[in-house]
Amino acid sequence: MILHPVDTILSLVLLSVLFSFGSSRLPGLIKVLAFQGIVVSMVPFFIGHDMNTGGIFFTFGTLLIRGIIIPMSIFIAIKKVAIKREVEPIVGYHASMLCGLGLIVAATYISRQLNIPSISDYKLLFPTAIALLVAGMFLLMARRNAIAMVLGYIMMENGIYLVGTTISIRARHIVEFGILLDVLAGVMIMAIILQNIKRTFDDVDTAHLRTLKE
Amino acid sequence: MVEIIFLTPFITGIIAFFLPKAISRQLLVGTGAIHLFLSLLLWKNRPEAIFENYFAVTPEGLLSLLVISLLFFLISIYTVAYLKESDIQKENIFTGSMILFLSTMTMVTLSDHIMVMWIAIEATTLASAPLIYTHRTSASLEATWKYVLICSVGIAMALLGSVFITLAMDIGNVDAPLSFSALTMVAGQLDPMWLKAGFIFILVGYGTKMGLAPMHTWLPDAHSEAPSPASALLSGVLLNCAYLGIFKTNKIMHAAGLNDFSGTILIVFGLMSILAAATFILKQNEYKRMLAYSSIENMGIIAFGTGIGGIGVYGAIICMIHHSLIKSSLFLSSGNILLGYGNRFIENTGDMVKRMPKTFVAFFGGFVGISGFPPFGIFIGELFIIVGAFRTGHYVAAGIFIVTLCVIFAGFANQVMKISFDDFNKGDSKKTMGLKERDSMVWPQYILLLTSLVLCFYMPDTLYQTIIDAVTALGGGLK
Repeated sequence: MILHPVDTILSLVLLSVLFSFGSSRLPGLIKVLAFQGIVVSMVPFFIGHDMNTGGIFFTFGTLLIRGIIIPMSIFIAIKKVAIKREVEPIVGYHASMLCGLGLIVAATYISRQLNIPSISDYKLLFPTAIALLVAGMFLLMARRNAIAMVLGYIMMENGIYLVGTTISIRARHIVEFGILLDVLAGVMIMAIILQNIKRTFDDVDTAHLRTLKE
Repeated sequence: MVEIIFLTPFITGIIAFFLPKAISRQLLVGTGAIHLFLSLLLWKNRPEAIFENYFAVTPEGLLSLLVISLLFFLISIYTVAYLKESDIQKENIFTGSMILFLSTMTMVTLSDHIMVMWIAIEATTLASAPLIYTHRTSASLEATWKYVLICSVGIAMALLGSVFITLAMDIGNVDAPLSFSALTMVAGQLDPMWLKAGFIFILVGYGTKMGLAPMHTWLPDAHSEAPSPASALLSGVLLNCAYLGIFKTNKIMHAAGLNDFSGTILIVFGLMSILAAATFILKQNEYKRMLAYSSIENMGIIAFGTGIGGIGVYGAIICMIHHSLIKSSLFLSSGNILLGYGNRFIENTGDMVKRMPKTFVAFFGGFVGISGFPPFGIFIGELFIIVGAFRTGHYVAAGIFIVTLCVIFAGFANQVMKISFDDFNKGDSKKTMGLKERDSMVWPQYILLLTSLVLCFYMPDTLYQTIIDAVTALGGGLK
């Protein structure tokens, strides 16, 4: 059996899921997410469906937003505002990795059972999508750092995008609206920045009060 | 021209961002009045939409629309008085977001296309997030963050559910527009497995927004941190909008003959919500959070009734209408209490019957209504649901339902008695109230409660017919 080229890059995405579970600091996690965003939004080009101009536009839009704009803005945010770099795990890294491995096995098993005709040529497509979806949820629940939670949310979006964009043309038209989800992600990032700015100012205020007393 | 009804507030909402305080307050009331007028016109004429693939006038949409319009108009009058009493910074952002929120919710009620509905529900999240952050404290920021995060995950789930519904169309070789009405027509040909999967994801997704347990965790925080008029809108109408998405998807399930499946899931989620509300309401020490948990309870009741089917669906719709009317009046009264006592904890309030007699009448009336006492409509709705549950043989579920409602009543009554009759002075010093009760801060509540009361004894034929039209699609009715 020869692997389809799409499956080859998807196997990298599966590996990146494990990598994201193991990464303890934000910059590494952001890079993993940027990589995932780029790969996932490129997949439609390699799948047999016809692409019209609107479709190409949306695919590039997604690539731009998830692969470049969001990771860059988070990078700038953690540099400018003092956000903690540690992801503060609730479930430890080793346990997370083990969960990740179990997840990939389970995802492969489940997608064998489902057997969707239109994507049966691509062995890893559905497993990767499920793995991304659940892994995103996992990061949302098992990390305390707010930025890490947003990154988990974006990983979930990637999973949904991967399912929708490959199943059929009609489903692709639906997940193209997923770009709107990135607006929500943007709002969350803004909330985090606001919170940190607020905290910084509060710190400054109390320090100020102390100096006056002396 | 159906579209004009949500485009008008959309435009005025954007304008309100750039206006000075005084004018934007008037614009708020003005938009409310125009919106009420337009929706009454819509109710009477029932015109076709220009983009008929995307928008349609459906009976369940009309019901929600009328509730939204009436509520928003009354709340906007209250808001003007409330804004004068409280110190909210950047008031034009608040009023602008309120109007935009109205626009997005109206869009939900009129949308027929699955994706238009999805976009509209997402837009309600975006428009209401600034409302929760109005006070600009770190607690309100945390509530906003929680609200946006949890609802975003929910909305992503709903997107996945929509993808699965298209998959059901592809496998069943169905060629139809992706609208609720068209899909209900061809529901029999859809692939049942993927349709079920789609329903579950859409239920979880919109259920998050509706406040069904265990996805309800954002709701108490958001409702208690938002200013009272915004909480009234959130609880009174936003939750209904999310319910509308579930209702319409359930219509497809019903037409496909999968109503047993969807009904069971709705019953389970409904009961879980009622139970969750009961556990948290008993030991609640903030009155606005208590009201929020009561909203979760009522959403549970509505989901339960919808799941029961038959006469239960009719009861659910009755509960939905009356819950909106009564709960929004309660939240408005809670705004008065907050301004009067300057405190959100129950233990720091008391003796409301003497100190704020007008608010007391509204608050106590609302409490009687929301806990399902006759002459208010929730009593009738719950009665129908219980009768429906016994008729369809859900004895255990009905038993849990009744017992939990009693527990919630006990908890609620205990707290309301403390607020109303407990000694406020608690010692020597004579505390003063922070609010003189203005008329315009109590009569919106009175009108809301009166409407609920009147609807109980006399329901206009057109309203009755619309409810029946809405519930027959789910196999409901008064038989």
